Amino acid sequence: MVTIALLTIKEVIRRRIMLVTIVLAVAFLALYGTGVHYGYKDMGGSHYAGPMQALIAPMFLSIGLYFGSFIVAFLAVMAAVGAISGEIESGIIHAVVPRPVRRSEIILGKFLGYSLMLSSFASLFFISVLLIVHYNTGLNTSVSAGTIGLFCLQPVILLAVTMFGTTFLSTLANGIGCFMLYAVGVVGGMLEQIGHFANSQFLVNTGIISSLVMPADSVYRKIVYTLLSAPDASFSSMMMGPFGSVSEPSVWMLVYTVIYIMVFLTLALMVFSKRDI
Amino acid sequence: MIIETINLTKMYGKKAGCQEICLEVGAGQIFGFLGPNGAGKSTLVKMLVGLLFPTAGTARILGRPLGDLGARQKIGFLPENFRYQDWLTGKELLEFHASLYGISGAEKKRRIPEVLGQVGLEGKERQKVGSYSKGMQQRVGLACALLPDPELILLDEPTSAMDPLGRREVREIMIELSKKGKTVFLNSHLLSEIEMICDQVAIINNGRIIASGTVKELLVNAFDVKMQVEGVTPPILEQLSKLGTNLAVEGQFISLSLGAREEIPALAEAVVKNGALLYSLEIKQNSLEDLFVDLVREGGSPCGNNSPANN
Repeated sequence: MVTIALLTIKEVIRRRIMLVTIVLAVAFLALYGTGVHYGYKDMGGSHYAGPMQALIAPMFLSIGLYFGSFIVAFLAVMAAVGAISGEIESGIIHAVVPRPVRRSEIILGKFLGYSLMLSSFASLFFISVLLIVHYNTGLNTSVSAGTIGLFCLQPVILLAVTMFGTTFLSTLANGIGCFMLYAVGVVGGMLEQIGHFANSQFLVNTGIISSLVMPADSVYRKIVYTLLSAPDASFSSMMMGPFGSVSEPSVWMLVYTVIYIMVFLTLALMVFSKRDI
Repeated sequence: MIIETINLTKMYGKKAGCQEICLEVGAGQIFGFLGPNGAGKSTLVKMLVGLLFPTAGTARILGRPLGDLGARQKIGFLPENFRYQDWLTGKELLEFHASLYGISGAEKKRRIPEVLGQVGLEGKERQKVGSYSKGMQQRVGLACALLPDPELILLDEPTSAMDPLGRREVREIMIELSKKGKTVFLNSHLLSEIEMICDQVAIINNGRIIASGTVKELLVNAFDVKMQVEGVTPPILEQLSKLGTNLAVEGQFISLSLGAREEIPALAEAVVKNGALLYSLEIKQNSLEDLFVDLVREGGSPCGNNSPANN
């Protein structure tokens, strides 16, 4: 398993997947940092500078984290979409499966390799966004290892689903399926927030159901709520609009998320262990 | 037995990949597995190495059931559609496969240069696999298969991308392995190659084994006879058709295939006794290729014994 994990990490580096991602992430952070800097600074001259700045700083943070979540989710799907199917299509796996390794080790090794790569990238991205907002706006958030861990959990959810898909779908079909599933979670999360504003229980319920189908967005909501809902906060999460979180997803949602990952990973193991290649 | 299959079957829905394959391959043999495209050769090899799961039947490799990791430790395999991580160097690829075999660091340092030398890739190990020619990729694949010093090596079309020199080198590797008591299972289209080096041969068609045995055994009963006869009459042709197959008449020349050398005198007698003049009689021992073509064209029936099925 470790051999497969190390090869997976080496592949991500050698095939410049990591390089392209880092370069584009730096470009995103540069643009984002410029936006935060000038947005906050220029607002300081307006009549309502104080309250508006107090509102815009957490809003900048939530936007940064929202698009950050999107980028790491995108990376998770793109990196692992052909992890098995691509190697079956190319024939690379024909030389690997007959070696004295269990098929489960191949799946778990790839999952471990991608998870380590995604977690490293996600935590760096998360810290970068927090630092940009902090140094430009002075916003203090209650950051902990737990919130960083939650940010790293998001791509792992997509990774587990993608690993399952790649064991039986073609690379293209898997990619489309995973992105659609992610979109369901994102749209559902937004509908839930709108439901809170509009006092629509139907929309809230729709959001909850979509979170069960794809829990990545609810993890994002938990991160935002945890970061921006300190007791002495001078703003309300209600003000974050669709990027914020009116209520904190419960700890059971996290338990569900972990079970969700394990179920998809187990399904991937089961399907691949019986698949003819 | 190194390989033993009992009624090993693979069905793809209603279509048969392999049906009721019974094979026995002993230690130290070079076993040739022949068949036309789509006959089921690769299906059988894939079942033996764990890429496909049998629908029915059983098999044992190195005395252990299919999929046994302990057995795989001693099995080398070169797939037909050889593709490797093109972003790795040859050395890194070998290190990866050595790790999959659980070979220790010290052993890797000893073994990798050794197999590189065996397949003629020394000095090329620092190049990316993606920059290798097809022949070199096949060589590096063979090196991966040789890494664990396997007891059994399964080679699926191992020389398909190689030039004549490369083919000769691979033949020499197979012979060398056999001399060391290793078993080679060779899946190949190259009949002359198989005829040259294989101890045992099996021919598969439409998913079933239609002939098996040593090359000598398979060819002992395969003769073509060509006669020059003057005064051929219908009774002569009738008698000849009872003695052999593939009877053809072209002017004074009659050709037919015989099942046994002992039938040649009867052939001459049938011509002479019926009043015709026999000017010449040529006997041609068939090659494995002739036998293969005849068997496949005639769609030979499945066999369980060690002889051509259409005898």
